[in-house]
Amino acid sequence: MLALLQVLLSGLVTGSLYGLLALGIVLIYRTTGVLNFAYGALAATVTSFLYVLLTGPRLPFWPALLLSLLFALLLGALVERGFARPLLAAPILTKAIATLALALVLQTVVQALWPQLTSPVHFPTPFEGHALHFGGLYLSLVDGLTLLTMVLLLIVLQLFLLRTRLGMAMRATADSLEAARLMGIPVGLIFLLVWMLASLLAAVAGILIAARQTVIDVQFMDPVLLLAFIGAVLGGLDRLEGAVLGGALVGLAENVLALLLAGHSLGALDLGNPGIREALIFAGFVLLLLLRPRGLFGGAALRRV
Amino acid sequence: MKRMDLPLKRGRLGQSAPRAALSLTASERPGGASGSTRLAWQRAAATLLGLLALVLLPLLFDLLFGDSADFQLHRVTLILILAIAALAQNLLTGYAAQPSLGNAAFFGVSAYLLAWLNSDLQQPYWLAILVALLACALLGLIVGGPALSVSGAHLAIATLGLVVLTGSLLTLWDTSAGRQSYELTALPEALGDDRVLYYLVLALTALIFFCAFHLLRSRVGRAWIALRDSEVAAAACGVALTRYKLLAFVVSAVLTGLAGVLYATWGTTATASMSSVDQTIAFLTMIVVGGAGSLSGSLLGALFVGLVPLLLGELPDPLMLGPLQLPIATLTTGIYGVLLLLALIFFPGGLSAVFSRGGRLAREEGGKP
Amino acid sequence: MSAEWQTAPQEARRRRPLLEVQGLTVRFGGLLAVADLDLRVEEGEILALVGPNGAGKTTVLNCISGFVRPAAGCIHFAGRDLLALGPERRAALGIGRTFQNGQLFASMTVLENLLIGRHTYLRAGLLQGLLPCGPAKSEDARARQRAHEILAWLELEPYADCVVAALPAGLQKLVGVARALAGEPRLLLLDEPAAGVSLREVAALAEQLRRWNAELGLTLLLIEHNMEVVQAVAQRVCVLNYGRKLAEGEPGRVLREPAVLEAYLGRDEEVNPLQEQEVSDHAAG
Repeated sequence: MLALLQVLLSGLVTGSLYGLLALGIVLIYRTTGVLNFAYGALAATVTSFLYVLLTGPRLPFWPALLLSLLFALLLGALVERGFARPLLAAPILTKAIATLALALVLQTVVQALWPQLTSPVHFPTPFEGHALHFGGLYLSLVDGLTLLTMVLLLIVLQLFLLRTRLGMAMRATADSLEAARLMGIPVGLIFLLVWMLASLLAAVAGILIAARQTVIDVQFMDPVLLLAFIGAVLGGLDRLEGAVLGGALVGLAENVLALLLAGHSLGALDLGNPGIREALIFAGFVLLLLLRPRGLFGGAALRRV
Repeated sequence: MKRMDLPLKRGRLGQSAPRAALSLTASERPGGASGSTRLAWQRAAATLLGLLALVLLPLLFDLLFGDSADFQLHRVTLILILAIAALAQNLLTGYAAQPSLGNAAFFGVSAYLLAWLNSDLQQPYWLAILVALLACALLGLIVGGPALSVSGAHLAIATLGLVVLTGSLLTLWDTSAGRQSYELTALPEALGDDRVLYYLVLALTALIFFCAFHLLRSRVGRAWIALRDSEVAAAACGVALTRYKLLAFVVSAVLTGLAGVLYATWGTTATASMSSVDQTIAFLTMIVVGGAGSLSGSLLGALFVGLVPLLLGELPDPLMLGPLQLPIATLTTGIYGVLLLLALIFFPGGLSAVFSRGGRLAREEGGKP
Repeated sequence: MSAEWQTAPQEARRRRPLLEVQGLTVRFGGLLAVADLDLRVEEGEILALVGPNGAGKTTVLNCISGFVRPAAGCIHFAGRDLLALGPERRAALGIGRTFQNGQLFASMTVLENLLIGRHTYLRAGLLQGLLPCGPAKSEDARARQRAHEILAWLELEPYADCVVAALPAGLQKLVGVARALAGEPRLLLLDEPAAGVSLREVAALAEQLRRWNAELGLTLLLIEHNMEVVQAVAQRVCVLNYGRKLAEGEPGRVLREPAVLEAYLGRDEEVNPLQEQEVSDHAAG
């Protein structure tokens, strides 16, 4: 029982990280129509920047973190202006491929600037080695911080989108670009802000994931990204709550499967193999999508003729 | 159900045709058909010349590369194989407008089936290929059926999930059999000769493109393009959407399967990375860079994806640009990415759109679905 | 086939309407789009479906061509139950259709649009399509011939090889009709053929509609906001409001009924179709 609770808890932590990434993916997809496969690379770039600040000039953690988040905003703005804007009118597949190209470019830039990140390195944080205990449950400090950050971010984001003029303008743009434009919303500015916001979310998720696994390299976000995408699609790709829930679901499934499969084997095949887990998650995802073609939490599509 | 006939006999129309409702000024009238016929002839001539060049390529390579001619020819063969895969993706995505990213699954499965049947079960090579292709057709049907209810970005991610799933299953097969990759040990000896393989692949590619050209101008091809341009109108014209989408999935799966077995033959091995996200990216890149909804686009895309990394690999390392010293080896992927981005930004309709003056608009679902 | 049509007994046509809609009800979520609608269209007739925006007119057409599944009711076409059939089967039975927003195959030429319109007449499958010759090509050649005839008849022949996306909007509208006619339908559903057509051309359009009806024996069911067109061509009018049938009958009479006037004038002052008509009538009187 305790083991199950423990697994659910860590599943929740993993899930909230996927959810955070899925949130950014949906945010960008809804407003600009870009399936952003460079999202992981964005997160990895900012995380690498933080790593360099921490190990090169040996800045204290918190100022370095602040600088990194500022860098994330700048990076988001740069990517929007230099990359997303010229492709705004392109077909959706072209945009998706372009983000893949962007990911290649970002990774190469990181590798060229900081060659040490080509191979796995230790990512130092002040939280490493600390843990919280609730009864018999164990929660590492990073995991606790992850949950806390997630809750705070969601509350702030919700208030921002629902209560502020800017947030409402963003939602309007996501709902209908044409209508927003007609209402006099500066759509170009909104695109810029959405990319900056999404980049910030990616940075937070990337840094938390790095702190959690304590070892990073330039590609450490790649395996995570696809799972985040699954979360986003399960959430319906059209609403932010759905993205968070979808991400959480994937995280929970991953951890529960790990618990169930560990130590079992089928013939010569070790079922605890992460490959099996991955295969099962993807199989489940494809099946779920067949049952609910627009995602678990997606709205129904109205076909207009 | 019998129907009335349109009384459109020439004579009668000649007497009674009144003025058109929407009369046009002379300036709006198009130039006439002679221009398009000339373009068609030019295109046919260019195709024949290109084919001739490819047939003579081995001789040219002998002159250029001497001893390494076979090695260079081997590399060109890969581009031709990629072109088949690009065509498969293009038929499905560029013509029938199904944003499926699942083709890499068939690519890997057919290669593994060939390896298993040919190397392990000692079945004849051609029979193994036939079985692999039939399996791909079946798998295409199985994937395509459910895919009809999933659309747009959802379909893209779901089929991508399928590729990853297939990749991990193939990896599991490898690990449980205790091998790194599946070696093809019983290939026909003739195919070990780079020239024979080149001419075989060239013949197949040419035949497939020739057939695709005619297919796209036939009832089936038109129906695919129709459902890309407007699904409702296609249905209102009597196009059975389900049937034609499924057909596109099956044809695409079989062609990808063919590319898969050729690829495995080319490399004498099948690896699980044939069904991976990277492979999917390569397929998609080919049609997006080359031109979605364009046959020549499939060729140009394969050329880009197959040739650019090769050319980048030929750059001296480190490259001296004046005072700059560039570590090319670490930069190749990035440079490839930049070239890809530039191609997408400056040729949003694909490279083929640059060559076809006033050609068809290669349009897909733009913006958000 | 044409001979059979000409000798079809008159009373058989009178006995059963070509299109019969009974108790049609459509809901979109909580919204009742069409409520218990009965509609009969006789063979060879021109029926206009009018009503304010949002009255459910296009929804009725969509039910007939199979894009919307009604919550209740039944639709029969030439004696066959349509609801069990998909849109493509209905097209094959002889129901043609144009769309309010065109829905043309924009990347194809005008001729190819018409060839798709003739899709149900062709048989070639995948394997025949692969070959550069054979039955598929000769069948295709015949379809091309027919498409050219239809284009010539609509005076669209010069544009046969033009890509549709490059044509002006008015021509595209006509291509939409040509595509529907290429399927040689018995019933043609027209969704606002006069929308976006300039006033000068409205009279010509009305003449066209009458011509298709007279020369092709085509039955027309059209949605139209322009009352001049409706009065000029429709033999019968059916007025919809909030998904219900408000009135039905001869255009001259129905369009003067108080309930109809109120539906247009009272609730939707922007669309005021009869005012112009009334004024011109007074002027004439």
